[in-house]
Amino acid sequence: MATSSRTLPTIDPFLIWLIGTVAAASLLPVRGDAAGWVGLIADLAIALLFFLHGAKLSRAAIVQGMGNWRLHGLVLSSTYILFPVVGVVLVMVMAGHADPLLLSGLLFLTLLPSTVQSSIAFTAMAGGDVAAAVCSASLSNLLGIALTPLLVALVMHGGGEGGVSSWQSVRSIALQLLAPFLAGHLLRPLIGGFVDRHKKLLQPVDRGSILLVVYSAFSAAVVGGIWSKVGLTDLLTLLALSAVVLAVIMGTNALVARLFKLPRQDAIVLFFCGSKKSLVSGVPMAGALFPAAQVGIVLLPLMIFHQLQLFLCAAMAGRFRRQGEALVATEAARAVPRAQDDIARAAADRDMAIPASCMPGVEANLALLDGHAQTLRGDA
Amino acid sequence: MKQALAIAADVRAGRTSATAVVEACLASLPADDAPLRAVTRILADRARAEASAVDAQIAAGRDPGPLAGLPYGVKDLFDVAGLPTTAGSALYADAPPAIADADAVSRLRAAGAVLVATLNMDEFAYGFATINARHGTTRNPHDTSRLAGGSSGGSAAVVAAGLLPFTLGSDTNGSVRVPASLTGVYGLKPTHGDLPMGGVFPFAASFDDVGHFATSVADMIAIWEVLAGTVAPSDNSAIRVARLGGRFGDNVDPDQVAALTAIAPDAPVVVLPDIARARSAAFLITAFEGGALHRAALARDAMSFDPQTRDRLIAGALLPQTLCDEAQAFRVAFRRRVLDLIAPYDVLLAPATPCVAPPVDSPSILIDGEMRPARADLGIHTQPISFLGLPSLAVPLLRSGRLPIGLQLVGKPGGEAMLFRYASMLEQRGITGVSAPVGALQGETA
Repeated sequence: MATSSRTLPTIDPFLIWLIGTVAAASLLPVRGDAAGWVGLIADLAIALLFFLHGAKLSRAAIVQGMGNWRLHGLVLSSTYILFPVVGVVLVMVMAGHADPLLLSGLLFLTLLPSTVQSSIAFTAMAGGDVAAAVCSASLSNLLGIALTPLLVALVMHGGGEGGVSSWQSVRSIALQLLAPFLAGHLLRPLIGGFVDRHKKLLQPVDRGSILLVVYSAFSAAVVGGIWSKVGLTDLLTLLALSAVVLAVIMGTNALVARLFKLPRQDAIVLFFCGSKKSLVSGVPMAGALFPAAQVGIVLLPLMIFHQLQLFLCAAMAGRFRRQGEALVATEAARAVPRAQDDIARAAADRDMAIPASCMPGVEANLALLDGHAQTLRGDA
Repeated sequence: MKQALAIAADVRAGRTSATAVVEACLASLPADDAPLRAVTRILADRARAEASAVDAQIAAGRDPGPLAGLPYGVKDLFDVAGLPTTAGSALYADAPPAIADADAVSRLRAAGAVLVATLNMDEFAYGFATINARHGTTRNPHDTSRLAGGSSGGSAAVVAAGLLPFTLGSDTNGSVRVPASLTGVYGLKPTHGDLPMGGVFPFAASFDDVGHFATSVADMIAIWEVLAGTVAPSDNSAIRVARLGGRFGDNVDPDQVAALTAIAPDAPVVVLPDIARARSAAFLITAFEGGALHRAALARDAMSFDPQTRDRLIAGALLPQTLCDEAQAFRVAFRRRVLDLIAPYDVLLAPATPCVAPPVDSPSILIDGEMRPARADLGIHTQPISFLGLPSLAVPLLRSGRLPIGLQLVGKPGGEAMLFRYASMLEQRGITGVSAPVGALQGETA
């Protein structure tokens, strides 16, 4: 995950692990009884994962950043309305032109909650409002526990290939995810401190759980003959479709930010929190929502989309940061120097040294000129 | 001192000689100027040579020009061949001498005028007070305990005192009109860029103009025609007059209000938009350009500058370029709007200064209920007009025995002739005109 201030898009190291896991599942798929055990362990891993999600989620962060309702509303609308609409339209347009299961995977990813960590990291990198991003992304994740299964039921109902069988299964799945999540969150007063202090230690549990689900899912998929169904053309098609989804969402969010006249810091939050989808949430949800044989293929679009969004967001975060720096520089360039340090710096830039006896008079005159600058700009 | 055209007429008609006029002037000038501190250099040799040349032309039957034998002085920032151009600063006291006269001086010489003196100013023309560390503070002939205004204070004071019939000054933000108003003489700021600036020490190039002082409208016209190299067209059309309202109605002397009402009781009132922003933009551009001009000298030897201008120039030199660019962009848009607004009128009436001359020992004036430095704020009504580049003629209200104060007649670009026509009408109605100072400085000196 790109959490540094680097601006060049980089390959997410976790993606390498994912690809490695997919490759391992392709070469050495787990079969027979072992598959049952691995599936069970994967289910437990999902429960553990959501338990930890619940324990990690800070209600204080949500409450603290809650004031900016308009922004959070826009972020949630992007995640749970705009994304699904784009997904549905795209799937309708592409029906008959791509593998239905892959399209289901594409639609599924549009129903997922936003990421938490990378949304916050990119917002911080771009110079956005980090507190608002923490709140927005956390809220999106919290609501996603309920909203995503509901949306899956609503949009992907009807059974058949790539479909979800019934409300009954959705409810049980929601409970399967929700129960450990709520348990973790309710226990946060007891274990929250430990979880927060040992994030680095818990990260392998987090990621290991996902890799286990992926391995289990792809093993089943490989046994079911995924690589005879999915070829390079399909992967490239998925990449193109992911790019289309991202372009539409990012463009719309930028436009909405302008229409709503969001401050720059809020616009950045909308851009990053509103245009991302969580692999961490998506993998276990797919594992719980789709038949084991379909999970692997359903997850492919999410994995491709995930890497593409990291590429684009890293690039955009760098661009936003440079724009912000330019804005700050422009503001500084427009300002009348008032503080003694600024006056000395401005004088040094002009190869001047201000005699000490002149400084009071110079300061007084700069104060007068600053007043005129404010009058000129209509600030006075 | 007679009015300029009367002297020139006598010289041209042979009733007196240019040499006699100039000798009388040279004889009285040092003593008469002493209490004023308006003159910085008396150019006796040059004056005698120029007067002789005029007399020689008359003797040869040639026309010496419309200003024949007229003695005059120039603000200390005009190039005069053979002399350093000091711009009122000790910094340039020993500068290499100018190799030629300023263009304006050349035109006056060609018209028969005789240069006799250079005149006091605020250092580098930065101020409305003519408080000069090297040459002293120029006093108002009507009350020597008061300022003459500035920055062309010396040029205004000698004309008001009757020591010279006309003089040249320069006007960047009001440096002709402010001292004209405070000393009770006529003073013109031309349409920006219309009069020759060659050989004039600059201050803020965006607004700098040559201007002149005299004691009658007829003299103003004759001198302007020489400087502009043109003849004011005769025109009998009705003059459409409006009064400038809004900010021009604040900070005014009751006598100015009464005069404006008497002059044009039914004239519509035009309110220029954003006038406070315009003045601030003018302030910033002036500070920036003035600071930039002197940046190298300030870096080299700041302490040789006049303390009155040094800190202002340093502050201006520290302003960011982008701020000046903003002010210039505002100026372009503001000028376009105002020109549309004033299109139906030929002459706009406004106060020239917010008050009469303030005392030398307490050079502050009341602006918006606060005492402000006269040096910076006497130009509150002139600065926005310079910002627009419009011509503006300061006319003195006729009020003998009282401290002078004036109005501005503001025209459209190139509208000087219309301003002169309207000023003549006011002069004929007895509303405006020059009153001789009472006391020691009163009376004919030539």
